[in-house]
Amino acid sequence: MLVAACAPSSVTEQGRAIHGLYNFFMWAAAVVFVVVSGLTVWSIIRYRRRDDELPKQIHGSTKLELTWTLIPTALVVVLIVMTVQAQTKVLDPAAGEAVPIKVVAFQWSWQFDYGDDVTIVGQPKQRPTMVVPVGRPIRIELVSADVVHSFYVPRTLFKRQAIPGITNRFDLTFDQLGTYSGQCAQFCGVAHADMLFDVNVVSESEFESWLRTNRAAPGGGAGP
Amino acid sequence: MRDEAAILLRVSAFGFVAGIAYWLITYEWFGVLGLLVLGAGPGFAAVWLILQDRRGPGPKENLRIAMRRFAGIPPPDPDDPSDYAADGLAILPLPSIWPPVLSLGVAMFVTGLIYGLWLLLLGGALIGAGLWGWIAAVNRENRYGRLEADHRERGADETEAGIQTEAE
Amino acid sequence: MATTEVPAPAHPEAPHERSKATLVDYLTTVDHKKIGILYIYTAFAVFLLGGVLALLVRLELAAPGLQAMSENTYNQLFTMHGTLMVLLFAVQVTTGLANYFVPLQIGAADVAFPRLNALSYWLYLFGTLIVLSSFLVSGGAPATGWTVYPPLSDSSYQQGTGVDLWILGLGVAGIAAILGAVNFITTILNLRAPGMTMFRTPLFTWTVLVNQLIILFVFPPLAAGLAMLFLDRNFGAAFFDPAQGGSPLLWQHLFWFFGHPEVYIVILPAFGMISEVIPVFSRKPLFGYRAMVFAVFGIAALSFGVWAHHMFSTGAVNLPWFSIMTMLIAIPTGIKIFNWVATMWRGSITFTTPMLMAIGFLLVFLIGGITGVFLASPPIDFAVTDTYYVVAHFHYVMVGGLFFALFAGIYFWFPKMSGRYLSEGWGKLHFWTLFIGFNLTFFPQFYLGLDGMPRRIADYTIDRWEPANLASSLGAFLVGASTLPFLWNVFRSLRRGRPAPADAWEGNSLEWSTTSPPPDHNFHALPPIRSERPTFDARHESATVRAPGPTDPQTRDRG
Repeated sequence: MLVAACAPSSVTEQGRAIHGLYNFFMWAAAVVFVVVSGLTVWSIIRYRRRDDELPKQIHGSTKLELTWTLIPTALVVVLIVMTVQAQTKVLDPAAGEAVPIKVVAFQWSWQFDYGDDVTIVGQPKQRPTMVVPVGRPIRIELVSADVVHSFYVPRTLFKRQAIPGITNRFDLTFDQLGTYSGQCAQFCGVAHADMLFDVNVVSESEFESWLRTNRAAPGGGAGP
Repeated sequence: MRDEAAILLRVSAFGFVAGIAYWLITYEWFGVLGLLVLGAGPGFAAVWLILQDRRGPGPKENLRIAMRRFAGIPPPDPDDPSDYAADGLAILPLPSIWPPVLSLGVAMFVTGLIYGLWLLLLGGALIGAGLWGWIAAVNRENRYGRLEADHRERGADETEAGIQTEAE
Repeated sequence: MATTEVPAPAHPEAPHERSKATLVDYLTTVDHKKIGILYIYTAFAVFLLGGVLALLVRLELAAPGLQAMSENTYNQLFTMHGTLMVLLFAVQVTTGLANYFVPLQIGAADVAFPRLNALSYWLYLFGTLIVLSSFLVSGGAPATGWTVYPPLSDSSYQQGTGVDLWILGLGVAGIAAILGAVNFITTILNLRAPGMTMFRTPLFTWTVLVNQLIILFVFPPLAAGLAMLFLDRNFGAAFFDPAQGGSPLLWQHLFWFFGHPEVYIVILPAFGMISEVIPVFSRKPLFGYRAMVFAVFGIAALSFGVWAHHMFSTGAVNLPWFSIMTMLIAIPTGIKIFNWVATMWRGSITFTTPMLMAIGFLLVFLIGGITGVFLASPPIDFAVTDTYYVVAHFHYVMVGGLFFALFAGIYFWFPKMSGRYLSEGWGKLHFWTLFIGFNLTFFPQFYLGLDGMPRRIADYTIDRWEPANLASSLGAFLVGASTLPFLWNVFRSLRRGRPAPADAWEGNSLEWSTTSPPPDHNFHALPPIRSERPTFDARHESATVRAPGPTDPQTRDRG
């Protein structure tokens, strides 16, 4: 049970809230699992048939049944409160000056649009890279050009569907340098499995220079 | 009110309450519609059952007992099965070829929607034949009953089943 | 048409001779038991086919890279696997058992509308054949996932008639389910034997009642969705096309308004079967009968308020409402699990195959249920939805929950249906291979999902996923192999299994008061019904007339 228990740690601020919530749920789940499966295993071992006597015919117990109604109810209330708290952290707009990136999902790759003529377009099996600065919120505007896709970077512990006709906005604040792979998570047709991309988290200054070189290439523009 | 009606009434109450709550929280019309329909459907069935009961013979429940039944704490069921009106004899219909025929017709008809008019017509004809045969068989059984030998054996079964309370 | 005289009524085919039923008997039957058998056989054939598709899917995923098939084939396979298993096997196999046992459990001679019952079965069969025929048309079966989200399922992305056949077939099967629901609800509400009050009906009948009520209310939205999709594809409508003012989200709403209660359509009768099996083999009454009934209703009612928890990641639904409603389901489900354990507590338990399957159910369903609470929390859902975590979760619920309960039910009721016991030896082999294979298949998938492997991908490029995938594939083949002892068991037991008496297991409910198999009209005589355990009462009252000990005075007061 515990091998698969832990979610991988996250590389975004928002993801950390999810990671913490997951771990809390995991502890609660472990307790429930141990108690219930323990009772089950105990009763099948202890109360296996030894003689032909008919055991006492117990039809129920209001007290016991209330107990195992109220304890789970209390647990559920706790879980709901924890959930709502974490949810606020995950979904509320992050403080600070955000980097807007428009992400367009299409069959079967991604386009990352930084404004000012900086656009990265991928092709199936050839991963486009989304370059982002560390420590600053990335404000993603997610749209789809054709069918429903889903933007998913596993290490952010977050995903969001790209639905034609709807624009989805959310913030990610990466706080660890590195390259993280991402992938479409909503089945979108033949080459769904090849709809990969990378997120490259770089320092603020590297990001600025990356922006400048990419802007220089197609035609230039004003600073951000 | 019988337990059956109480069950449906509960489902209905849930549909209405959840539908209204959902509207107040989300203002999202799809779910509101779904939940209200969930309230209306079983509600209709429950009201029908209650009216049926009111019209029928037998003692009527007062409102207090009905409310308790609705809340899931009904008075204990009477021990004596004779308190319940026995069902009439169950009349079992004869074997019939028409259900499969009608189904084949439906299958051809719907595939006709993609593969062309001929299949549509053929399916429609089969549906017509199936319905015709079905209704004719029902009428015939209603008018003449089942085979006589069959009847006798069933009659024997039923009387036996009818005196099931001999232990009392 | 109806040209000549309608065929003469019923030639004396001697339906009462208990000889071998012929093909014509089955073709024309309106007997709920025969129809039940037809349902079970058909659903089982669908299951075997869906299982083979699953094995092919696991074969492809055993190692990175595309070895066994093209991406398009893979997509068709998992789409049809989901369709067959969820929509054309899981619902109907329980309908089959319900067909056979609900009239027996309530002491009725047949269902309320026997001919309609036959119509339901035949519509289901033809609907299934239409869905399967999509493999044969050019373009092949739909490759959209069983959720067929538009616009992917629209005609501009899915050419060929595969999706159309899929829609029509499911439409026909859906009508069958709705007709069946009308029939079962009427039967349970109106045809109970004298003395069989609602709160004396066995739990399986209760769960069937609730499951059919759900069917009655969620298949119409599905049918509406299917009709809209069909119009979009073939007649230029634009319900789901955003370019013309439609909304792809509408489909997700319609589909999941059906799709989530569908889970309970499948799992509630499984609960019912477990509630039948555990008391019998623990020799105790079901603990908290009334609470169990209300838990079933609680689960069913809540299941209507949770559909959009499948849509958390769309960003277009109210998160707290669906999260809270979903988590609340844990409470009645918990009550059920605790009550089952309490039924075994201080019992006298024998480990026959049905009981083993029931215990297996308790353990795997526990994991399925717990992980369901994780998914009910939107932040966690963002992380793991559409990954293998979800795949593992719903297979723990649907396969773990349904299979173990279903096999518990089949081993339990086989003596009633055939007059012969299934072999215990083969049954235990079946149980252990299934239990080990099942956990080997799906437990690694929790890890894969947490590590970020999306579902429905034909190929993965990350090497560290290989061992878990390989384990999962090996487990899947073990599950596949576990059906062989079962099939052999059925085959041999039908011929030379140990003959079963009327009361094959010291049962509680009414079906054990009639012969195995039951006569055409089910009962020659009914015992008096004064509790939810009429057969138990009859057995113990005739053995010792109100003596202390085995007889249970309390049983009589149960309302």
